[in-house]
Amino acid sequence: METTNDKGLALVETYYKDYGCQARAMKKAGKRAMGYISAVAPVEIINAAGFTPVRIKGDPNEAVTKAYSSMETLVCPFLLNAFDLALKGKYDYLDGIVIPHTCDSVSRTYEVWKRNFPLPYYHFLNVPHLDGAPSLAFFTQILKTFIKSLEQFTGNGISEKNLAHAVLAYNELRQAMRDLYDLRKPDQPLISGIEMIKLLVAVKALPVDESAALVRQVTEEVKGRTISSPQKPLRIMLVGDQIDDTGLIEIIEKTGAQVVMDDVSVGSKLYYADIETTSDPVYGIAEYYLEKVSLPTFYRDRGGSYDENLELRFGHLKRFISEFNVDAVILLVYKNCDPYGFEVPATISYIESLGKPVFYVEDEYSSSSSSRLKTRIEAFLEMFTQERR
Amino acid sequence: MAEERKQRMTATAAAAKIPKMVRANFTANLKAKEEGRPVAFSFIVNCYDEILRAMDIVPAWAESYSGICAAKRDAGKYLEKAESQNFSRSLCTYATCGLGFEYWRNELGGEMPPDAPWGGIARPDFILGTGQMLCDPRYKWPQAAQHYMQDVPAYIGGFYWPPYDENMDQREVENYYLKYAVDELKGAIAFIEKQTQKKMDWNKLEEITDLVDRTWDMFIDAYELRKARPTPMDTGDAMNTMVPLAFMLGTQEAYDFYKDLYDELKGRIDKKEGVAEDEKYRLLWGAGLPPWFALSDFQYFNNKGAVFPAERTYREAERIDRLDLPKLSDPLERIALRWMRYWTHWYDAARKRKGSIPEVERLIEYIEDYQIDGVVFHKAFSCRTWHSGILLQAQILKEVYREIPILVLEGDIVDISSYNEGATHLRIDAFIEVLENLKNKC
Repeated sequence: METTNDKGLALVETYYKDYGCQARAMKKAGKRAMGYISAVAPVEIINAAGFTPVRIKGDPNEAVTKAYSSMETLVCPFLLNAFDLALKGKYDYLDGIVIPHTCDSVSRTYEVWKRNFPLPYYHFLNVPHLDGAPSLAFFTQILKTFIKSLEQFTGNGISEKNLAHAVLAYNELRQAMRDLYDLRKPDQPLISGIEMIKLLVAVKALPVDESAALVRQVTEEVKGRTISSPQKPLRIMLVGDQIDDTGLIEIIEKTGAQVVMDDVSVGSKLYYADIETTSDPVYGIAEYYLEKVSLPTFYRDRGGSYDENLELRFGHLKRFISEFNVDAVILLVYKNCDPYGFEVPATISYIESLGKPVFYVEDEYSSSSSSRLKTRIEAFLEMFTQERR
Repeated sequence: MAEERKQRMTATAAAAKIPKMVRANFTANLKAKEEGRPVAFSFIVNCYDEILRAMDIVPAWAESYSGICAAKRDAGKYLEKAESQNFSRSLCTYATCGLGFEYWRNELGGEMPPDAPWGGIARPDFILGTGQMLCDPRYKWPQAAQHYMQDVPAYIGGFYWPPYDENMDQREVENYYLKYAVDELKGAIAFIEKQTQKKMDWNKLEEITDLVDRTWDMFIDAYELRKARPTPMDTGDAMNTMVPLAFMLGTQEAYDFYKDLYDELKGRIDKKEGVAEDEKYRLLWGAGLPPWFALSDFQYFNNKGAVFPAERTYREAERIDRLDLPKLSDPLERIALRWMRYWTHWYDAARKRKGSIPEVERLIEYIEDYQIDGVVFHKAFSCRTWHSGILLQAQILKEVYREIPILVLEGDIVDISSYNEGATHLRIDAFIEVLENLKNKC
């Protein structure tokens, strides 16, 4: 791919390689940063309280060495890796961490984080796993308790105006992301999967306004690209949770295929719906996370048939496959992950019912497994390419 | 092919009665199915016990069936079936055992898989789960099971309790937790009424709620007799005697069982009958679900003079007066608040001891009340909810309380491939040696 001005992408590269560098620099300048785990932490509230939200990520290239003495190996390998990074000082600039109730691995290790990686502020956010009116009312209360706790910590009130402003700012980021995702729709996508994942990760440790500006900048840059290759790549959608590294996508794209869409928790899961601007912004935030973020940690059943429920759970995949003209899906689930793991047969059969092949792989969030993964993925893509011929 | 299982000797007559009772539970759900009475899959500590019994729903306990398959060392075939469907071996093996079973049953067009232990488990008319009374499989297992039983509806109710925070009194937020739980219990009743076309009998629900209160009290009264020296019953038996509390709560039979157990333990104490011939070491089963395929390991401990007068696992009840419950007339509020206070009533103690957490306070209470010499934890690789945080508990216990010998065993609940009897026994031997050395020093 050729482009005339890659300043935005160069910045993405910096932020991706040195994750959190901006938040760290801002900390030195007297600003504050709040870490959080998973996709269901309401960054809008963290932002409204005056913090730069920083999503805790791991590094599959970093061997876990310190975490084993205080966290069990039976938990999510991503979480273990991220905790190991925290123990090694990667997140020492944070003022606190918000840990939502996303799954057993995360919720049951809250105290482990708190004891072994002490920070001035910790909060456990009891996110329910259900939607519907009682769950929404409950989650709204949970968020209000969270707001109160942040107010106590900072000594400053969080006004409705601040919350409404944060909601608008994140909605703007979501719109900017969707506009960029659109550039992956053409036969020759204007941005590669590797570039996209780097951007998706980079913005997770930036102030929201900077994130939106960066996404807009990259969008403008890649719009000016001319694609020289006449060959249409095999179009892949990547499905999984905390995929926050280029490793897997490099394996896919080195074969000539291209990741044109994702359903991952640092990616489209967070960008394909907006928060309604309700009179009570907290209610709007609660509604967004419970009803619009498609994660297996949320149980979706409105009393309809099994097939109707499948549409509630996976209907967005159908839309993505169609809109992004996806040829095949790669489903990556980490070991020890109950929420995703129990969905695997249903996910595979749903996607296959749409006439698209799925390659399912269980992994351990470690680059040590990448050569095994490489051989398997290459074989899958080769077989699929031959079938298409 | 199922491997021959070593029989574990029970110390009490009560524990010896349990296999028949468990079998009767499964006969009951199979018979109900034949007769067209409603059968529901339900899960241990699911908070629907009173509702199920008041609405004459026959529960088919999903984890219990997986436990039976494991205890008979006959779960492998179901785990393999689940694996063939791409369920990871690292997932909860109670669930994967059950899902393998349902996949197989679906393959057979709804027929019971051949040679199912104890005749199998009935295909349910509906499923009752929770998010998140205990763990993720409470709502993911029902959803995954529906893949093989697409006509079977499920109700998942939200049931949470306030998290521990040393800087906040949980009672400040209890009201909205309670309201949510009650709304969700009402949702469960509406769902069951729709499935069965039968209305809730609210008077009966109230009577059963009273009965459950009495059963919790009787259970604790009986278990507290284990404080005696020598202890008249240990964890090896408790892994059986939990059955009426976990799977028959809300029935008179469950209450009567604990009354009989109470009487039996009193008798054994009077006659100074202990679990071990020569009780030398008193241990606490600190946390962890047991390896159902290797309960005879408790016997191994007993043979070395080590007994377990108390355990945290399956002690899912508390004396009602200890929960400081207000007078409530709505049975649903009573059910919800009883559970909520059960989970949170160690919080105050934790706040008083600097550096402690509720789980450790509970350990300390049992260590003191039951005169414990050492703590044994079991880490089951496939279960995150019970077994994450064990290392932390062990660390905090030593920090805030005292140096106490701790043994962490590793294995699983259902998957026998994780188990190495020789290695386990060697670790137990080494632990006993530590206890012995400590005793000699004192």
